[in-house]
Amino acid sequence: MAKVAREMVEKAGVNVDQLLELLVNNAAAELTTYYYYTILRANLIGLDGETIKEIAETARIEDRNHFEAIVPRIYELGGKLPESMLDFHNCSACPPASLPKDPTDVKAMLQVLVEAERCAVRGYTHICNLTAGKDHRTYDLSQSILNEEIEHESWFSEFLGEGPSGHFLRRGETSPFVSKFLK
Amino acid sequence: MRTFTREELKKYDGRNGPAYIACDGRVYDVSGSFLWQKGKHQAMHFAGNDLTGALKEAPHGPDLLERYPIVGELID
Repeated sequence: MAKVAREMVEKAGVNVDQLLELLVNNAAAELTTYYYYTILRANLIGLDGETIKEIAETARIEDRNHFEAIVPRIYELGGKLPESMLDFHNCSACPPASLPKDPTDVKAMLQVLVEAERCAVRGYTHICNLTAGKDHRTYDLSQSILNEEIEHESWFSEFLGEGPSGHFLRRGETSPFVSKFLK
Repeated sequence: MRTFTREELKKYDGRNGPAYIACDGRVYDVSGSFLWQKGKHQAMHFAGNDLTGALKEAPHGPDLLERYPIVGELID
């Protein structure tokens, strides 16, 4: 635990226990999404499925990176992960991104993907709002993750016909915003 | 439609039974939501309460509540 770091955040007026709960819940959302996206990716087959497999894979890997990036901050602030994986799953900040009943329905698959990303965008916006100007490190981390979640949302949204994402797929390494926390 | 006072609404805190929340005078049953397990939402919101004010600060609008059944009206 980084005692003074926590003290600074508390003195700035942040309820650190509440923030820790949010960070654990969002870490759970990242790891469970990584798991559920693995199943979705495996089922993205055929002409339509293959079209979105690559972005689903990038989002999957980046969500795992987000989990890896959040965990150190939880422990720095004096928090911890639940001992039980089941408890961890069930405290997720986002619902399970479960495989649709008809796994050949690529549009239903995209709806699951975009809903998961939208939940994440809301969650990190919330954490950014709570920590802005008060907890600089958590803010920086959450903002970096938010940048990637927004891109994920826009990729899936584009395939649903909601308009252009405005950018290209990743070129080179994943997590352009979060990678600084993984080194 | 059933009416709830704020005191009555407090009984539906989701800890050992249904989780109801109020917003803009409507009472919603959020018991079935993954995001309202045990009557708690995103670490800081609790069922059994009128969340009209809290929703203004939330990273989503009241449209998300349309997913849940309306079970009554909140009266003062």
